[in-house]
Amino acid sequence: MEKHIYLLFSLFSAILFHVAFTGCMEWDYGETEEFNATGTGLFITNEGNFQYGNATLSYYDPSTDEVQNEVFFRANGYKLGDVAQSMTIYDNKGWVVVNNSHVIFAIDLETFKEVGRIENLTSPRYIHFLSDEKAYVTQLWDNRIFIVNPKTYSITGYIEVPDMTMESGSTEQMVQYGRYVYCNCWSYQNRIIKIDTETDRVVGELKIGIQPTSLVMDRYNRMWTITDGGYEGSPYGHEAPSLYCIDAETFSVERQFKFRFGDWPSEVQLNGTRDTLYWINNDIWRMDVTATRIPVRPFLEYRDTKYYGLTVNPANGEVYVADAIDYQQQGVIYRYSPQGKLIDQFYVGIIPGAFCWK
Amino acid sequence: MGQISKSHTKPLPLLIALTAIILIMACPLTSFGQRTHRLGEVVVTAKRPMKEIGVQKTSIDSAMLKENIALSMADILTFNSSIFVKSYGRATLSTVAFRGTSPSHTQVTWNGMKINSPMLGMTDFSTIPSYFIDNATLLHGTSSVNETGGGLGGLVKLGTAPDVAEGLNLQYVQGIGSFKTFDEFARISYGSDKWHASTRAVYSSSPNDYKYINHDKKVNIYDDNHNIIGQYHPEERNRSGAYKDLHILQEIYYSNLKGDRFGLNAWYIDSNRELPMLTTDYGEETDFENRQREHTFRSILSWNHSRSRWRTGVKGGYIHTWMAYDYKREVGNGIMATMTRSRSNVNTLYGQFEGEFTPSRRWFFTANVSAHQHFVKSKDKNIILQDGDKAIVGYDKARLELSASASAKWQPTDRIGLSAVVRGEMSGDKWAPAIPAFFIDGVVSRKGNVMLKASVSRNYRFPTLNDLYFLPGGNPDLKNEHGISYDAGASFEFGKAGVYSFGGSATWFDSYIDDWIIWLPTTKGFFSPRNIKKVHAYGIEIKANLGLQPKKGWFLDLNGSYSWTPSINEGEKMSPADRSVGKQLPYVPRNSASLTGRLSWQSWSFLYKWCWYSERFTMSSNDYTITGHLPQYFMSNISLEKGLAFKPLDISLKFAVNNLFDEDYLSVLSRPMPGINFEFFIGITQKIPLRKK
Repeated sequence: MEKHIYLLFSLFSAILFHVAFTGCMEWDYGETEEFNATGTGLFITNEGNFQYGNATLSYYDPSTDEVQNEVFFRANGYKLGDVAQSMTIYDNKGWVVVNNSHVIFAIDLETFKEVGRIENLTSPRYIHFLSDEKAYVTQLWDNRIFIVNPKTYSITGYIEVPDMTMESGSTEQMVQYGRYVYCNCWSYQNRIIKIDTETDRVVGELKIGIQPTSLVMDRYNRMWTITDGGYEGSPYGHEAPSLYCIDAETFSVERQFKFRFGDWPSEVQLNGTRDTLYWINNDIWRMDVTATRIPVRPFLEYRDTKYYGLTVNPANGEVYVADAIDYQQQGVIYRYSPQGKLIDQFYVGIIPGAFCWK
Repeated sequence: MGQISKSHTKPLPLLIALTAIILIMACPLTSFGQRTHRLGEVVVTAKRPMKEIGVQKTSIDSAMLKENIALSMADILTFNSSIFVKSYGRATLSTVAFRGTSPSHTQVTWNGMKINSPMLGMTDFSTIPSYFIDNATLLHGTSSVNETGGGLGGLVKLGTAPDVAEGLNLQYVQGIGSFKTFDEFARISYGSDKWHASTRAVYSSSPNDYKYINHDKKVNIYDDNHNIIGQYHPEERNRSGAYKDLHILQEIYYSNLKGDRFGLNAWYIDSNRELPMLTTDYGEETDFENRQREHTFRSILSWNHSRSRWRTGVKGGYIHTWMAYDYKREVGNGIMATMTRSRSNVNTLYGQFEGEFTPSRRWFFTANVSAHQHFVKSKDKNIILQDGDKAIVGYDKARLELSASASAKWQPTDRIGLSAVVRGEMSGDKWAPAIPAFFIDGVVSRKGNVMLKASVSRNYRFPTLNDLYFLPGGNPDLKNEHGISYDAGASFEFGKAGVYSFGGSATWFDSYIDDWIIWLPTTKGFFSPRNIKKVHAYGIEIKANLGLQPKKGWFLDLNGSYSWTPSINEGEKMSPADRSVGKQLPYVPRNSASLTGRLSWQSWSFLYKWCWYSERFTMSSNDYTITGHLPQYFMSNISLEKGLAFKPLDISLKFAVNNLFDEDYLSVLSRPMPGINFEFFIGITQKIPLRKK
């Protein structure tokens, strides 16, 4: 028996010896790939899971129906970061705003390689370019809009937003009309602010419904925003959400379209000619910007899932809808014709939230 | 029961080889080692307690609990059990999960009182110093129903014990380690026939700024025109990871030596921890402050009354937790503006009555009623209202949780045991359906103590207060999570007094959990919990231990565990494109193992600890994208101790090496872990015996 025990001990020891000296985590990192994405295409920023640093960037070529995922990582050999919020193209560069990494990466639009970065932002959401040397960056949890120099990738100043604290700070999407930039204030806010780009000061505000989520400018220089109405139990209030049409010249509400109490509309988008409005409210809705009533029927009906992102191809009016599925796996993008026919679908990264057309 | 006492002289080449390897590895350390170490008793049990009929449990060796003062229960469980410990970094949130379930499915009790956060449902094991725990037992799956409800995965049962040596005993241990880590432990205890008293304190602090290669980032090298001409992965320090933790534990026990014992346990925690920045964070460390502070006081008064055939116990307790989370940003001139200011106050009143009755040697009955009354105030965000006034986003709720159980245990013969437990649970004004559990075991062979066990139970878990009421996102319409579990296994244990002991077990388990609660983002930018998943978790747990005394003065103890844990999402598709159905749950390793080997020679002791977690998916669809999975990792720690006996003091010296092979690893995405690091401990113990009357 003792002999067997010692044999057993030998086995234990052999296992111990083997495992002790063979353990090693194998990193996938370091390799880079060469891309050459010429022509038009669609970037998809995939937020990833908050605090997990797994945001990614996807690129889709509508002419070939080919999608390339994790292109930032594959081109550069390191991660995009935590919560990719938005992407804007300016000066032939893609500017990817990575919210919880406190950074904006500028990338080459064909190779996806980084060409520069703006660091140490508070919680960046969107970037709006005024010139080669000036851009605004909106923030969450900050009552300031950051002024940056895209040429030197540096922070050059701040715009203080009145009646806003750091804790309830929220500035979001920006559109421009002449010398003024307009910005919707979202989280526990109810207003659109007006910024004079020559003085970098907030010179006006327009109070609307609770929590305006997005902002676009149509071909008639009217801004469109959609509120989410807050949530049940919120001390800030809970109301029926609305779609607002705001005249940029007079900075006043021209029309208000009320939704049902409990609806969760989001993601106002325009087509390429900026005469047709799209948004998500369970289904996908489409409306002419001159319409006076919300259509009776949606453009695309609900498909047993929560749609998370939306864009329209400015070249041909095709509609792309993002489905985050369970928010823990690769989301899927559905591509529809302007007539609402499904053309293609492809998987991207976790929580595809925003699009950017090249 | 036998204790190794005889010597064994048969040489064994591999033993010598292994010893040589160990000594070579320890060679630079030997001059430090000075602490006496005693190998724990090797127990061979012929008759098991009625209370444990059919129970699947893992008892953590008391020597492992007292291995060193720097360890938390998360560290102990990593290397001494097969359950999954998910660590967000050194001295950072660490949760444990049994059998492919989630951390909130693990119930945790301290001296009988539940210490799971009523807000979150889970327990942070990194805030439980192992030196404060005298008994730690894991009750796997169904077995947890014997003690509490809601343990869909199992129960971690922690306790202190009145086992204090007679007389006045003083102990002080100082640890100094890498990253300017300082650990201090002091204990003063007094024991007599009737009274036992003990005061323990632990203080740990460190900037915790360990270096690591950041694979998630590259630093750019620019030319004069700001063109990138080169990039490299930087060597960074763990940023914003400092901690200062103070724990004080006071215990007083009185026994009248006639079967009555009174006890007081009071545990105070003052924790101040920064939350480390992610590897993907491009913010300046000095411009952000991300800090969590906690003051917790837990106390229990107990009375146990024992007679030959029956025992009763009454407990009353109180928990107070104040938790603060602050996220600040520098806004110029060194002014730190608050971005997030969360405060929570939790007060819990606890009461319990339990009784045991043994009418004959074949029957054993138990009954237990416990109540936890929670009062929770959560203030999460200051906002400016539309009219310019200010308000706080949060909730203020109270909830009563009742749990009552009765069990009957029967041994129709010496070889067979049967146990039936029924438990009722109430939370708020909602009752869960009755929770039944059945256990059976039988001794197949007395030679080798070969025993078969099996059990089955239903179980329920109520949503936490955050699940129901958190603003924004709380969902008061959530249903209970509920499940059914089975397990069956075999164990054996044999040995020869003074020579060896060998034991092991293998258990198969199978459980289904419905209405699994997960928090999902909404289009409004916040998360909200929903009853979503149906999970089928099954697998095998294997444990083995071997004790040897090869020569006089030599002791060797090996313990190993292995767990195979498929945990499969079997719910409905959340969308037509959903690819998660039929896949392993994220962050649940399919395989995990741990091994400890302790070699002692006279007053020297060498300990080797090893653990392995297989690849973990980070996506529910188990995609092999670059960020979609975390590679497997192995971890090895060693320590060498030497004890010196002087009069009137005993001195112990210990040198520990963590992450021996300087593994570059992650437990969670974007959370850096430390490479090889060292700590040296010196302990002084003084015993002042009682004067003889």
